[in-house]
Amino acid sequence: MVKLTINGQEAETGRDSTILDAANGIGIKIPTLCHIKGLEPYGGCRMCLIEIEGVARLQTACTTKVNNGMVVFTETEEINKARKAMLEFLLINHPLDCPVCDKAGECLLQDQAARFGASEGRFAEGKRTHPENINDSIIVRNMERCILCTRCTRMCGEAQGAYAISVTGRGQHSFVEPFSHDKYNCEYCGNCLTVCPVGAIMSRLHRHNYRPWYVEKEIETVCGFCGVGCTTFIQMRAATIIRTLPKLGTGVNKGLLCVRGRFGYDYVESEGRLKTPMIRVNGVLEPVSWEKALAYITKTLKDIKTKHTPKAIGAIASGMCSNEDNYMLQKLMRFVIGSNNIDSTARLAYAPAKTYIERIFGAGATANVIADIEKSDGIFTAGGDPTAINPVLGVQIRSAWRHGAKVVVSGQPGGLGNFINYDLNSVPQHEETVLNTLVIGLAEMKGYSGKNPFLERKIKALRLPCEPELRATGVLLENMEEAIDDLSGLKRPVVVIGPSLLHAGIPSKNLFLVAAIAYLIDAKIYLLSKKPNYRGLIDMGCVPDTIPGGLPVRPGQLKLKKGVTMTVPAEKGMGLFEMIDGALDGSLKALYVLGENPVFNLPDRDKTEKALSALDLLVVQDIFMTETTRHAHVVLPAAAWSEKDGTMTNLGGRIQFLRKGSAVSAGKSEWRVIADIARTLGMNETYADSKEVWEEITQVSVLHSASEYDEIKDGGLMWPYGSVQFQGGAEDFIVEGLEILPEIKEACAAAPCKLLLLPERSLFHSGSTTRKSKAILSVSPEPYLSINPVDAGKLGLSNDDTVRVKTAKGSSVVTLKIVRDCPEGAVILSNTFEKVSFNALTGYTVDPVLGCMVFTDNEASLEKL
Amino acid sequence: METSTSQSTADALDKGGILKNKIKVLKKMYPHTRSVLLPALHAAQQLYGWLSEDAIEQVSRLTGVTTADVKGVVTFYSLFKTKPLGRHVIYLCTNVACLIMGADTLEEYLGKTYGISHGETSADGRFSLVIMECIGACDKAPAMLVNDDCHFNISMDNIQQIMESYR
Repeated sequence: MVKLTINGQEAETGRDSTILDAANGIGIKIPTLCHIKGLEPYGGCRMCLIEIEGVARLQTACTTKVNNGMVVFTETEEINKARKAMLEFLLINHPLDCPVCDKAGECLLQDQAARFGASEGRFAEGKRTHPENINDSIIVRNMERCILCTRCTRMCGEAQGAYAISVTGRGQHSFVEPFSHDKYNCEYCGNCLTVCPVGAIMSRLHRHNYRPWYVEKEIETVCGFCGVGCTTFIQMRAATIIRTLPKLGTGVNKGLLCVRGRFGYDYVESEGRLKTPMIRVNGVLEPVSWEKALAYITKTLKDIKTKHTPKAIGAIASGMCSNEDNYMLQKLMRFVIGSNNIDSTARLAYAPAKTYIERIFGAGATANVIADIEKSDGIFTAGGDPTAINPVLGVQIRSAWRHGAKVVVSGQPGGLGNFINYDLNSVPQHEETVLNTLVIGLAEMKGYSGKNPFLERKIKALRLPCEPELRATGVLLENMEEAIDDLSGLKRPVVVIGPSLLHAGIPSKNLFLVAAIAYLIDAKIYLLSKKPNYRGLIDMGCVPDTIPGGLPVRPGQLKLKKGVTMTVPAEKGMGLFEMIDGALDGSLKALYVLGENPVFNLPDRDKTEKALSALDLLVVQDIFMTETTRHAHVVLPAAAWSEKDGTMTNLGGRIQFLRKGSAVSAGKSEWRVIADIARTLGMNETYADSKEVWEEITQVSVLHSASEYDEIKDGGLMWPYGSVQFQGGAEDFIVEGLEILPEIKEACAAAPCKLLLLPERSLFHSGSTTRKSKAILSVSPEPYLSINPVDAGKLGLSNDDTVRVKTAKGSSVVTLKIVRDCPEGAVILSNTFEKVSFNALTGYTVDPVLGCMVFTDNEASLEKL
Repeated sequence: METSTSQSTADALDKGGILKNKIKVLKKMYPHTRSVLLPALHAAQQLYGWLSEDAIEQVSRLTGVTTADVKGVVTFYSLFKTKPLGRHVIYLCTNVACLIMGADTLEEYLGKTYGISHGETSADGRFSLVIMECIGACDKAPAMLVNDDCHFNISMDNIQQIMESYR
């Protein structure tokens, strides 16, 4: 510890602290413009000048480290004079167009000029001019206002790792610019405009629409786009959202957001929002009252239950909805109707992966603090680009890399491209061979600890790939060897598993191999979650085989408060795919779909559509008309992300509050509607608010029984929520094809060559909500098919060609883009746009071991139009 | 992530992979990819005469430094050309020492003789003029660079002869 005196006050602080930190620590404020906590000190604005006894000149507090016995003054006449002079310099070129500047009112330069004076400059020459650039659809740049504090460029580089903007030019002609003069063409995380102290980089979404003092209400909530669960703030005037913004240093994201979280929220105010319940009459959905809609649902459910038994009724839960919404759906299905048929799209990858990993390592193996990724010294990722699926988690991997961590990526590196140590981007279908080699190599280097004999026995059964098999992967053996060396030496390793690992090849083997890597190097495991509450809905029992809290379904009584008990149905429940099959073969008659769009989000669209149209009752509760509502008998308008209270569980197992901001829609909180239905069907409980639902959850769920509601408020509640961890990992598990390696296929010599159609993991889009966001559409308006330059060359295709992509399931016309990152032998298409989407062109099978979805029929041929 | 169409035009620029090989050699001489940026840009400029956006993209891809950062570096240094210039580029210093020793008359001479002022290229494409801040030769002022050659103690007596040596 170092002791020093600041303005006569004693301060004690760590050896590495700066004077600015020390002063902040004892409540002395030093004005700054360029300083941002968390970024490297810059010392550019000279506003934090302070006097140190014995040092001749004024020093910058943000860059000067503390020393024992230092005597510091932060407010003297000389300092104030210097600060005033600094401001005078800054104001030589700053246009002082505050009346038309959106920043006025929350502008640091304005505040400090007001405090230190310098309102009159002595500089007689004219100010520099530089036209405002409004050619980007999201970000407006007004570089006349820029004071060159470089907060934005440091944020973009140091924190976000994008390095998409830079100070160009020199001297007074320095301006912050992206590479292309007009559009940013970057990740659009918007973190540059979070930190801009003046009005130089501003959001275009609400340009000239508000003044900061219009904000009447500010709500702290959790972002509703992916599983990271970033803290974000909604600022409101009356019932409308003025803007959403992060706050530096808060939440799991520490103030960083991605494009979806920062700009994508405008879908909640989209014109397409559902306004009233609807019932299908003579094939057309017609508006009805809530009473009528709910009466229709309950009557039909009752009829189906009597006629076909409860097992003919099923439900699909929603990864976009809160724990309370999902719990209530589960309660309706399991405890009120008496059916275990409940599942969600977490079944595609997240749920099976979580179950499998927990079976190997024990419960909670996937519950880890996201911030630990940044502190790790080595990260292995497989199964998809984290910077696209869970962007803020991906940013932490970049940050770790910059601090010296080794980053090893199996498969397409995507947004981690500049942050990896070796290229392990294998040819599609051969990733398994690479993983196999890594596991065997690591087992040799690290040896066996004996902790998990089942796993070790399986590792020993692996076959070392032979030379031609290695060659077929397209990855250099020396890269694999160096990766093994690096991975084996890690002290705080992290393994990140993405969904793609489960969608191709033999999922159980792929997942086992990555689990084996995690086991051998003793890593923390993170499962990427596309939707914000996949983990929560699993914990809420929205899976056929476990009840809330994660205990397996055992027929019998479950205690609820005040001696009330609920009955767990005995009949085995159907999963997502079984329900689709059940609807087709007539064993499922009614399906309640909560905030999900199975027609769009499942491959083999024809099959899903046939299945849903065969149902006697399809209830869809959503905020928009979707591909699924086309088949619905009843459509109920739901509350969007910003319109309801509740809790969400992020991918690391942290429970956080989702808070209600705007209330413009006609939609109702999903759990309220479901509770109304449940009460008509015999449920006794009533709930005043979502807190009461949460309290019931803590009664029913072993996992949540020891948690306190108030704990959620203070930075979230982390797994295991105060409960006793139940052990696992002591049982055997199944892996298919341990000794089998992917076949080496003859290289396809000439056109027409079959390419593998793979789904795009887009940073900009996450499914049905982002395509309703004008902001997101403005930067990513259209689908395109990505292809590797080599394949494009073989097929004689060039950029922007219009091609017909054809698979066994259908064909679509789409624009082609040549993308270097795209693996050879594959074409990549997103599943976002209605016109052309990945799922419409592929089929699927269900993996017998994991129960996850594996793509089929995705061999595609291209035809130039 | 970026899928710009210019990727293919940038590729076309370095058809024989000359720059790629040059940068590959340079990379071995420096500890980080970032430190190879300046020599890589010089190599690109030598090859193409000036640094177009395509050239910047190419250098970016070959060094791993993002396009925005490369642009920042290119626009900072006056020795990097961001537009095509004449066959020979005159970098004339007009900073204090050179100015006192008569750099302004030299500027005037160049303007009269070749019709060029700062940033301009003569009609025949022979000379371009770039006005520099100090080139570090104050003791031999006035000084200028023509391409990579230094010329010191220039006066109205010898400037014509110097210029004539560049055809």
